Amino acid sequence: MKNLNKSLLALLVSSVLISGYTAADVKISGFGSVVAGRTLDDVTLDNVGFDWSQSPSASNPPSVTREQILTADFYDVGQYSNDFSFKPETVFALQVVADMGDNLKVTGQLVAKGTDDFSPEFDWYYLTYQATDELTLMAGRRNIPMYYFSEFSEVGYAYPWMRPPSNLYWWQVTQFNGLHAMYDFSLGDYSNTISVFYGNEYSNDNKEMKYYDELYGGSAKSVNELWTDIMGFNWNLSGDFFDVRFVYFQNDRDRETIAQDGSIADFTPFSQAFLGFGGTLDLAMFTFLFDWNLVTYDDAHGTEFPTYLISAVYNLDEFHPFISYSKADHKREKRANTEDYEEHYMLSYGIRYDFHPSASFKIQYDKFVDEAVPESGWRYHGDSDTVTVGVDFIF
Amino acid sequence: MFKHYNKKQLSIIFTSLLVGMLSTHSVSAEIAVIVNSANGSALDKNSIERIFMGKMKKFPNGQVALPMNAAKGMNSRDEFNKSVIGRSSSQVNAYWSKLVFTGKGSMPNELSSDAEIIATISSNQGAIGYIDSGSVTDAVKVIAKF
Repeated sequence: MKNLNKSLLALLVSSVLISGYTAADVKISGFGSVVAGRTLDDVTLDNVGFDWSQSPSASNPPSVTREQILTADFYDVGQYSNDFSFKPETVFALQVVADMGDNLKVTGQLVAKGTDDFSPEFDWYYLTYQATDELTLMAGRRNIPMYYFSEFSEVGYAYPWMRPPSNLYWWQVTQFNGLHAMYDFSLGDYSNTISVFYGNEYSNDNKEMKYYDELYGGSAKSVNELWTDIMGFNWNLSGDFFDVRFVYFQNDRDRETIAQDGSIADFTPFSQAFLGFGGTLDLAMFTFLFDWNLVTYDDAHGTEFPTYLISAVYNLDEFHPFISYSKADHKREKRANTEDYEEHYMLSYGIRYDFHPSASFKIQYDKFVDEAVPESGWRYHGDSDTVTVGVDFIF
Repeated sequence: MFKHYNKKQLSIIFTSLLVGMLSTHSVSAEIAVIVNSANGSALDKNSIERIFMGKMKKFPNGQVALPMNAAKGMNSRDEFNKSVIGRSSSQVNAYWSKLVFTGKGSMPNELSSDAEIIATISSNQGAIGYIDSGSVTDAVKVIAKF
């Protein structure tokens, strides 16, 4: 994050000399990950798309055997198969922060991802106004502060693993346009930040929802995923050896599944609430990371998604071997059968090696176990064993 | 070749190898934490750490603190991070990367030599930095040594 602003500064200085304006102080920094991997085996999926009212036949197979697939990035549908690939997770991002003086800054993040064939997009753009020493206001496009690792989930250098466990970070919406107010204060030696936020996300032609539509035999032209009136707060508390965060937010959900003929399927809107508590603890040679979350819908099924993550890292100079376990479940509390829906866990281990002050090498093995019962129709992930290697860097 | 050594000699060799490995990082120069001569603040280790981690933004006298890092790869930076922050430089960089790329903090500025750090601190009332103890001059005030 060295300020690579000398040549820009030269440009700005020359523009100042010409125009007489006060030059904005522009800082350029960035991050990225070059990651490659593959799954190791085949998997037999029982009945994904199987019609239980019909007898098994060639057109209605009770099980299919295919290559294992690990979805490493749900939002961008970044998936590993048996082919060794760089595409699912490789990412490069450039951040430009222009300090315009009088406590006003503008930030943009240009992100190029393998899943989008590296066509760069401005994923983040927002204004920051430092109203007082304690109060910061932001307006624009940012990640929704959902899980503990959500806001920096693409900054691989910031955490020990290849990625925050993808079987929890599975939402089809991760960003929104909105307003944030952050208030910093101290309680003794503890630093606190309380943020409140409000915004909307009209995710037209949502990639993940289109993927599910196709997976279950649909032929939609596009699926628009609408998350509106997203409002909530984060409370971050940190001390010498810990950092914890509490989150609550709620929003309205709607969806437009648009058929090839342009007609839109019926969808009953509902509201969801997101609750979470996560953090990191540094104890001697160990770092522990955890996150517990509960998403509830006020829909007809009483849908709930309880999820959690626990992880331990051993810090041996520049070597950081780690293990993590993440579990996701799907319940329908208002149905007779409350339990038999989507359910899976991931057991991951690997090592991070900080071979350079601004870059780290990682290798990771992920065992994904799909625990959904075959009859549920929710066993669409399938088990997988995946190896990934990569380098994360910042500049 | 090993047949020339007996068990005791081998264990001495292994022990000295181990000691050698463990002590490579403790061969360290003393670090001096310096502030502007006009800065009357007394800071304990915890406060210095909090200033360099962006958690404490002002000195006790209300002056805004401007922490200055030694450039990446300078010995003093690794030593400071290890003895004051209690983490490796890479771990400190990882901590900052999550703040910088979410717009929640700016990493301390980097200066490329002890002389440059002294010059910057002597001309900025709120600046605070660290240098090799041997580089200290009268232009700045030492508030702690590690």
